[in-house]
Amino acid sequence: MSQETLPNQYTSLFDNKMLSMLERMRLNPTRRLTNRSRGEHLSGKGGTSTEFSDYRNYVAGDDVRYIDWNIFSRLNRPYMKQYQHEEEMHVVLILDASSSMDYEDKFLRCQQLAAAFGVMGLLNFEKVSAYACNQKGGRPAKLSPCTGRISMKRLFDFLAKIQVGGDSPIEEAIEDVLRSHRGRGVAIVLSDYESFGDLQRPFNMLFSAGMEIFGVQVLGPAEINPEINGDLRLVDSESGQTLDISSAGDLLRLYHEHRALLEDHLAMLCRQRSGRFMTINSGDSLEHVLFDQLRRKGWVL
Amino acid sequence: MNFWPGFYSLQGAWYLLLLVPLVIFYFLKLKRPHKHVPSLALWSQVINDRRVNSPFQKFKRSILLLLQILLLLFLVLSLMQPYIQSGSDRAQYLPILIDCSASMAATDPDTKISRLDLARERVTELIDNLLPDQRISLVAVSSTAHRLTDFTDNQRVLKQALNGLTVDDVPSKLEDALRMTQALSRTVPIKTVLFYSDGNFPKEVSFDLPFELNYQKLPSAGSNIGITSFNARKNQSGNWDVFIRLENSPKYENPATIELKQDSQTVAKEELVLGKGDSQRIEFSINTISGSALEAVLTPGSFDSLPADNRAFLKIPSARSLLVFISPDLASYRYALSENKDLELYPEKEESAGPAEYDLIIAASETDLDKPALVKLGVGFVPEELQQYISLETKLTDVVDWNRSSALLRHVELNDVQITEQPVWAENAGVENLEGLGYEVLVHGRLGPLLLQKRNSGELEFYFLFNTDHSTMPYRVGFPIMVSNLIQLTLQEAGIAEVQASATPVLPAVEYVPEKKYQIRTPDGQQLSAESNKNGLVSGIAALHVGKYLITGEGADSAEICVSLLNPQETSLVSIDEIQFSEVPVTASQTQIDSDKPLWVEFAVIAFVLLLVEWWYFQRRPVGIPS
Repeated sequence: MSQETLPNQYTSLFDNKMLSMLERMRLNPTRRLTNRSRGEHLSGKGGTSTEFSDYRNYVAGDDVRYIDWNIFSRLNRPYMKQYQHEEEMHVVLILDASSSMDYEDKFLRCQQLAAAFGVMGLLNFEKVSAYACNQKGGRPAKLSPCTGRISMKRLFDFLAKIQVGGDSPIEEAIEDVLRSHRGRGVAIVLSDYESFGDLQRPFNMLFSAGMEIFGVQVLGPAEINPEINGDLRLVDSESGQTLDISSAGDLLRLYHEHRALLEDHLAMLCRQRSGRFMTINSGDSLEHVLFDQLRRKGWVL
Repeated sequence: MNFWPGFYSLQGAWYLLLLVPLVIFYFLKLKRPHKHVPSLALWSQVINDRRVNSPFQKFKRSILLLLQILLLLFLVLSLMQPYIQSGSDRAQYLPILIDCSASMAATDPDTKISRLDLARERVTELIDNLLPDQRISLVAVSSTAHRLTDFTDNQRVLKQALNGLTVDDVPSKLEDALRMTQALSRTVPIKTVLFYSDGNFPKEVSFDLPFELNYQKLPSAGSNIGITSFNARKNQSGNWDVFIRLENSPKYENPATIELKQDSQTVAKEELVLGKGDSQRIEFSINTISGSALEAVLTPGSFDSLPADNRAFLKIPSARSLLVFISPDLASYRYALSENKDLELYPEKEESAGPAEYDLIIAASETDLDKPALVKLGVGFVPEELQQYISLETKLTDVVDWNRSSALLRHVELNDVQITEQPVWAENAGVENLEGLGYEVLVHGRLGPLLLQKRNSGELEFYFLFNTDHSTMPYRVGFPIMVSNLIQLTLQEAGIAEVQASATPVLPAVEYVPEKKYQIRTPDGQQLSAESNKNGLVSGIAALHVGKYLITGEGADSAEICVSLLNPQETSLVSIDEIQFSEVPVTASQTQIDSDKPLWVEFAVIAFVLLLVEWWYFQRRPVGIPS
């Protein structure tokens, strides 16, 4: 889906005002999964930055340069002064670009959220890469890891040019991404998660790869509150499979139950892997999602 | 009552075959609407849910089919025209006789519903339950029978006729209606005849029932008090004694006030209390010479069921002398009447020409009887038209028998009267020949009739076939009595000594200009027309309502004739439980007639409700959608 960019707008995905607000925000992962390479992301481990972190007992072999001599003079015992370690965090954006996302601005909302997360990563000097998966078995479209404000335009262009359509299920898409991805950090998986497959394996692989999972389920209003009745033949947008249902109105209660169960299941899968999960209605405004929902849930700071 | 329904149109069951295409089309559903969804993942889970596949849910999923099947079933059942069988034989042609006599206007003290309205309700129920092969004919019964509708199953026509039915202020007479129904039974097969009445009619009915009569007796009304007789007689002093008879129904004691109006002015008033079933005659005396219109008004002190009998009308004629012509040969009659001051006897000695019309003519020859008169008495000759049947012989004879109830022979003893002229029957002649000519034999002799009576339009004629002067009759005490009876009869005919209020259902005959048209305006505003006969008599006008009838036309000069109910039976509101026919009695049925009840309307309504339910079910907002 490509958006026309207005001449005075930096990107077609959102306006400049929102972009400037996003620039002041950053991701708030619960785990500190960072790369060994130096970066600006503060690691929980002791480091060599100028920010004080903690004290610990001196053990043989420690670098004596980090002994706090003031304390040694008072207590006559050596204590090691520790500093915060600033390491690089990799933000991986995985977008589900299959046909099921081509409903009710679901994919547009995916693009906007991915761009927003990407901006937060880039402007905090994190490494950001993006993958768009649509065709089953095909290689996902990839934005190579990039950093800094300078890469923002590349990211927007990549996201804006993603063509939606295909039959790639999200579980396979994640596995495809992991085949080429290197680095620890945060994996933000944007999809509707309406898949017949099991997400346990791809989530395990993400976890094993040192990624903290941010699962974002984007659903359309008609998926959250379908208004259908009577006898219908439902057609799957990806596979073209059909399913005949009778008295659809009577099944809606069960549909809501199953949708809630899926949400709970996905949330549990993420939580078990120290991740987070959130369902977003594509009918809600982007401002509401970014500055209200995500903030209140502590996803961003 | 048989609770298993019958079906009038069983062939409608063929429509049940429509169930087959209904089910086939429901399941095939050639055009099931397609709905594209992002993914079937959730819907597959829903469909595979154990709860969806439970038998009840499967049933719920097919509830539309079930509703459609039920809808079709009820429609087909309606087409089959079911009915609940009453258990009784179903009459195909059913005449319904409805009593419309005065007593049917009697109302109930609590509900204020008249008997006719009650009958109307019951007949309406029958009409509503009419089955397609049944035909009803409505007949109104009052003093005559009036067929309201032909045999029809058109409920609108029947109900229209029923609603147009009104009470006539007349006594009821069942025979006419039964005869009419008998005539109807010659064209269509009639097994049963329904008769709705309050039971206020003569118990004995002279009729041979060719069908079964179902007499549906309506509940009795409240108490009633009314005027049952109103007459006046001129007394010796020249005043009029007015007699009013009041009767009370047997239910309750009733106080009442009776008021007598003379030319719209109250001249007398009396309050009285009548016990249960009591009758009381009240007498007033009034003075009038030029004639007056009297009206008796009864004001009941408590609830009165029937208002029609609370008014009665009477017209007092102006006073005058009777004009009597007596043949000079009949000295005995002239002698007997000469002392009566109220008579003017003709021919007078001085002048031979008398008035053009007489009240009474006593003539010894047939030519004298040609003069117009109210009452005529021929003495000593056989009328010309009877001469072929009777001849006179000069032979001594006497009286064998006589009609003692005749007005002329009241209190007259004719035993031992010797007669010198004997009327003799001609060969093969008899009473029936005379009756064929309108004569009635009042006195029988040994070989022939001695005295005959004939009503000739407005004239009353008597014929002594022997000369009374040639018998011992003038010497007997019965002779002046007979002459006095003759004068009384003449007074009655002239209406100048005793008058009686006219009663429904026919106006009294009045005499105007011959062969002219007259318009009559009834108390309820209807216009009737009648034509006078060659004698100027206007007669046979139906007077179905109490009140004043205004006659206009040449010579009528807007004359008013008033009629009253004056019927003790109707006033008493007595009802009979059994009608005594010539052969069998018919007892009143206490239970309402049980007719077959058609059910197609109920089934059609259920089908319509099912249609609405199905529509609602199909269109309703799906459950589970937050409002």
